[in-house]
Amino acid sequence: MADKKIPEVDIIVDEKAGVIKEVEQPKKLRSKKGHERRVNGTIYTVLTIMSIVWLVPFVFLVLQSFRSYKLEKGGMVDYLIPKTFSLDNYAFLFEGSNFFSWCGKAMLLAAAVALAATLLTHFLGRSLDRADASRGKTTLTLGAAMAVCYAALAIAAGAVHGQALGQRLVPALLGLVLFTAAGVIFARIYLKQDDKLLRSLPGYVAEDKHEGAKKVATLAAELWALALLCQCIVAPMQASQYIRWYGNTLTIALFTAVIQTVIVLSVSYALSRLRFRGRKLIMNTVLVLGLFPGFLTMITLYFLLKQMGLTQAGAVPGLILIYCASSGMGYYISKGFFDTIPKSLDESARIDGATRFQVFLKIIMPLAKPIVIYTVLMAFMAPWGDYVFASYVAFGHQEGYNVAVGLYNWVNTNDFQNYFTRFCAGGVLVAVPITALFMALQKYYVEGVTGGAVKG
Amino acid sequence: MVDLDYLKLSKPQKMLHDLGQFFARLPGRIGGGLKGLALAVGRCLKGLGLSIADLFTTFKNGDWKTRLSYLVMGSGSMARGQWGRGLLFFLFQTVFNLYMVNFGIGYLSKLNTLGVVETYKEGRKTVYGDNSFLILLYGVLTLFFVAAFIYTWRVNIKQNKISQQLLASGHKLKSTKDDLASLADSQFHKTLLALPTLGVFVFTILPIFFMILVAFTNFDYNHQPPAKLFTWVGLENFRTLLSSGTASYGDTFRQVLFWTLVWAFFATFLNYFLGMLVAIMINKKGIRLKKVWRTILVMTIAIPQFVSLLYVSKMFAADGLINTYLMKWHWISQPIPFWTDPGWARFTIILINIWIGIPYLMLIATGILMNIPADLYESARIDGANAMQMYGKITLPYMLFVTGPYLLTSFTGNINNFNVIFLLSQGKPMGLAGNAGYTDLLITWLYRMTVTDTNYKIAAVIGIMVFVVLAVINLVVYNLIPSVKNEEDFQ
Amino acid sequence: MKKILSLVLAVALVLTLSCAALAEGYSGDLKVWVADAAVDFTNQQIEAFKAANPEFADMTVSVEAVGEGDAASKVITDVDAAADIFGFAQDQLARMVAAGAVEIVEPANAEVVKAENDAGAVAAVTMGDELYAYPLTSDNGYFLYYDKSVVTDPSTLEGILADCEAAGKSFYMEINSGWYQTAFFFGAGCTLTYESDNDGNLTACNVDYASENGLKALKSMIALANSPAFVNGSSISNATNVAAIVDGTWDTEAAKELFGDNYAAAKLPTVDGYQMSGFGGFKMLGVKPQEDEAKLAACDALAAWLSSGDVQLARYEVLGWGPSNLAAQQSDAVKADVALSALADQLQYTIPQGQYPGDYWSLATGLGDNIIGHKYDGADDEALMTALTEFQDTCISYAG
Repeated sequence: MADKKIPEVDIIVDEKAGVIKEVEQPKKLRSKKGHERRVNGTIYTVLTIMSIVWLVPFVFLVLQSFRSYKLEKGGMVDYLIPKTFSLDNYAFLFEGSNFFSWCGKAMLLAAAVALAATLLTHFLGRSLDRADASRGKTTLTLGAAMAVCYAALAIAAGAVHGQALGQRLVPALLGLVLFTAAGVIFARIYLKQDDKLLRSLPGYVAEDKHEGAKKVATLAAELWALALLCQCIVAPMQASQYIRWYGNTLTIALFTAVIQTVIVLSVSYALSRLRFRGRKLIMNTVLVLGLFPGFLTMITLYFLLKQMGLTQAGAVPGLILIYCASSGMGYYISKGFFDTIPKSLDESARIDGATRFQVFLKIIMPLAKPIVIYTVLMAFMAPWGDYVFASYVAFGHQEGYNVAVGLYNWVNTNDFQNYFTRFCAGGVLVAVPITALFMALQKYYVEGVTGGAVKG
Repeated sequence: MVDLDYLKLSKPQKMLHDLGQFFARLPGRIGGGLKGLALAVGRCLKGLGLSIADLFTTFKNGDWKTRLSYLVMGSGSMARGQWGRGLLFFLFQTVFNLYMVNFGIGYLSKLNTLGVVETYKEGRKTVYGDNSFLILLYGVLTLFFVAAFIYTWRVNIKQNKISQQLLASGHKLKSTKDDLASLADSQFHKTLLALPTLGVFVFTILPIFFMILVAFTNFDYNHQPPAKLFTWVGLENFRTLLSSGTASYGDTFRQVLFWTLVWAFFATFLNYFLGMLVAIMINKKGIRLKKVWRTILVMTIAIPQFVSLLYVSKMFAADGLINTYLMKWHWISQPIPFWTDPGWARFTIILINIWIGIPYLMLIATGILMNIPADLYESARIDGANAMQMYGKITLPYMLFVTGPYLLTSFTGNINNFNVIFLLSQGKPMGLAGNAGYTDLLITWLYRMTVTDTNYKIAAVIGIMVFVVLAVINLVVYNLIPSVKNEEDFQ
Repeated sequence: MKKILSLVLAVALVLTLSCAALAEGYSGDLKVWVADAAVDFTNQQIEAFKAANPEFADMTVSVEAVGEGDAASKVITDVDAAADIFGFAQDQLARMVAAGAVEIVEPANAEVVKAENDAGAVAAVTMGDELYAYPLTSDNGYFLYYDKSVVTDPSTLEGILADCEAAGKSFYMEINSGWYQTAFFFGAGCTLTYESDNDGNLTACNVDYASENGLKALKSMIALANSPAFVNGSSISNATNVAAIVDGTWDTEAAKELFGDNYAAAKLPTVDGYQMSGFGGFKMLGVKPQEDEAKLAACDALAAWLSSGDVQLARYEVLGWGPSNLAAQQSDAVKADVALSALADQLQYTIPQGQYPGDYWSLATGLGDNIIGHKYDGADDEALMTALTEFQDTCISYAG
């Protein structure tokens, strides 16, 4: 508010005297604007200082990562700006691998195959749906189309990346199943015109004409990502140690994200909406179990995994198993979210004859998008920072390390002198994607945490 | 005290009164709790007795199908046409029998001694004897398996009884197809919970039970399978940990426990109030670039802790950045022993934890502050309240009410906050007996016991102690919260 | 008839014996754990070993990079999954023997080891009267690296500190480590050793820190901590502004790069009139107990090969690890090495590091931290003696 030149006045009605008086506002209120500006000024100063303090370590970290380990020796040196900015540290991380050439070829290949697959799916799907063919026929045709696309991808990948045909049978089959299944699912979702149950929901909005184009574009993007993934399986790149650790952690994170979400949502839905004998017992048991420290069971878990052969060379599946198996105990926040969805939706659907499973899948899941994203985000981010279990399960087998163990060894073991700047570079490469992901999905994180906290 | 008199007291006096009442009623409450426990146990035993009696009556009243099921699980169901169920039961029994004959009996029989056959050398090669670890592990697994079998057998009998009664009264039994369909409907909870429960059971319950048992053995680096055996020692480990005297495990335990509680207290409440302060500052009307401030602070959450904490710990080292620049500017002449002096180390850790914790709390506080109806503040301002009064009478109670349970979980989490301590100081400076350090939490001490010292018996006891501490805190707080927060006052 | 029978039996016997002789050797898997820097070298040596010993040519040997510090803990945690041959330092030997994680050296090899390696190394691998590992290096001791242009005379600590202070540079020594700390105490004349039995249990402690000598040592350390040039640390790669550092041969390359033309090394200086002493450390290869005699024989053979004189010399040339083999130590290359000469010079003042309980290291760190934190500044002799007595009593309590 601009400062007025006219003195501030208050109009007071003096009823007894029957007069309207003008009284000058006391000084306290007049200087309130100045006071508020001073307060705001202080707040701005404090916030600026805070921002600097919070950002400073990361800025230094990034700066240090540009200090070449070959040219400027030393761990934590006493100057901040490197004398020469060089990418030596980053180059070291990729040393001995064909990362860049592989990526280039892979992305182009994936784009070509995704485009072909999308067009095929789009036109095939459209024509079959119009003809009102039975579900089975549509799925079969789409599946066959996907298989053809995958075969084309596999052959092309072999040729482009210089891998021999028929070198990897099992991974190739796995990729085939993945590609076909995912393609069919995507196609059904995006091209399906008719869904009675969805239409019956209040607030269902009919499609607009841009929906179609958006759907196809999304389908193309997802097929592209899938084709990229399949190339990792069929014609993997030659990796350096850091890339292998990064790849391990990425694999663990992806699998954990999916499996853990499924488990947590199942458990929280069951405890929230379904009533059965033993429900209270389960909730109390989980509460009590949660009071035990997690590391207590490390040695037992290690030997359990060892009996199953999932340590050392099998560290990656072993870690996925550890993270996912007990994840059902972390149902609390999701349950709080499910509790807020009105039960009337369930009831009306059940009256219409849906089974509980259909209610879960078709009605509740679409509404649970925020909590699903929150759970996926949390499950994805956790494996990147886990040092304890990862180092224990890998048991000295360097190929099975995740990034945390590898980088921790670089900076804390006396065997690795002079790895400090390389640690900084490795840390930056881990931090940047995770931070970007978190910032993009920040809204869901806040919803999840405050939702759970508020509901208590 | 009469209610009217109570209402006349001021706020702090009320709290004092509540607290006093809580402790006064405590013996009564504990007595009541114990009585309740005894009653519950009594009810359990009675239920057990009834169950066993029921077994006999079912056998007496049962037809040949039911009676056969006592021996061959599932035969009754199969004979009555419920093939799916019957087959499942039968399969379970077969697997159980095979398991017991081949492994179970062997391990169970050795459970009381945990192995007696020692390892010996034949010439140059080693011939391993009993492996105490595997005996204990598989023995416990077998015990659980036996318990599960008895439970399933009981269910089998009950189902037979119900089926028999249903048929006698003229109803039809559910076919296998019905059973499968019900998995998606009335038994949906079983479908949803089957796999998670199995996972929790094998990967949490079994290991915890196993480690609790280890606390009663002498499993350490001197008794390391497969070369050496370990055996039961009863409560000796607990005596060691709770022993008195200086430079003993007991003394270390008390010191570490004290620091753990102090740390958790500071870490939770300092972060809480500072985070709230920051949130209020950013949220204040008239502050621009709200999103920018929030984004900058939130970025620190996203960056993986092992990167940021490792770097920051090096920053505070004796020859790290902070000391170097402080010395360059001649503020100090000797480097500050951030990590080598116990007092400094503890202070530094709490300080750095503020750096980590404020963004979380700020986010939560922001979300909640936005929910406080603005007209509350407006009316307060019209009434002439200043900022402090508004904070104390509106913001604070609302926040405390809403995040009460969160504070408890946060406190519990900080007691078990391994990452921060491990990455920053690894528990150093060392100096306490039993290989503990001055910034060690119970949980980092446990980690060192397990991984570096391989002294599992003490690690198990520490784990149990952590559990006891947390259970006590949770119980106390859950009972205190209703008496401290007062809904009418809040409204 | 009898003659034919006995002939047949004799032939059968000969055939079986020859088959047994041919069947000697081992063709299964073998796992080796060495430090990250030594992986490539070890792989080459294994190829050479297989070439020289055809009965082991079919073995599959995998080499993994596991640091010596971690190796011992990992082997004790899970002997079954651990490597068959692993490198570790001698301070872990007692724990490993107590846990039954390391096998006695084959008697024939033991004789060779005793004859060919220096006394300190042999003492380090011995527990009771058995040899439990194959010595690899005698260079796990420490000495002084310094910048020739800053430190003119490295023979006294006071001189070094004066030079560093004048040039505004630092003198690094990790006095809060029970390993480096002993340089003062042992140099002043104190003892601190533990006796152990064949099973690796500590039976007695010989310590006399609470004495005039101990007081002298403690005062030297307090004076050092009060010097503006002093920084606590021992890693030259993480050092800033360093002119002199008490460090070991693992940092030779880093020191050479940092000091460039001014690189120099010497034995530890004297302080307050007495020569700083310390520990001599040794690295060794252990073999884990095997259930298969053929595999054990293979492990023994490979370990003996990797710790033989020629391979130790080759390892020095590639990695710079000072050999424990007497013949290798006399070679020209080793003698010409500045750092190793300094170390050899220093080694005559050191005692071989025996077995110490894990708690000792924490205790010593506590003492060092107190010195660094200036807790003892201005304390009188009585207070210092109390601290030393407490230290001594705690050390004694760790034995038996």
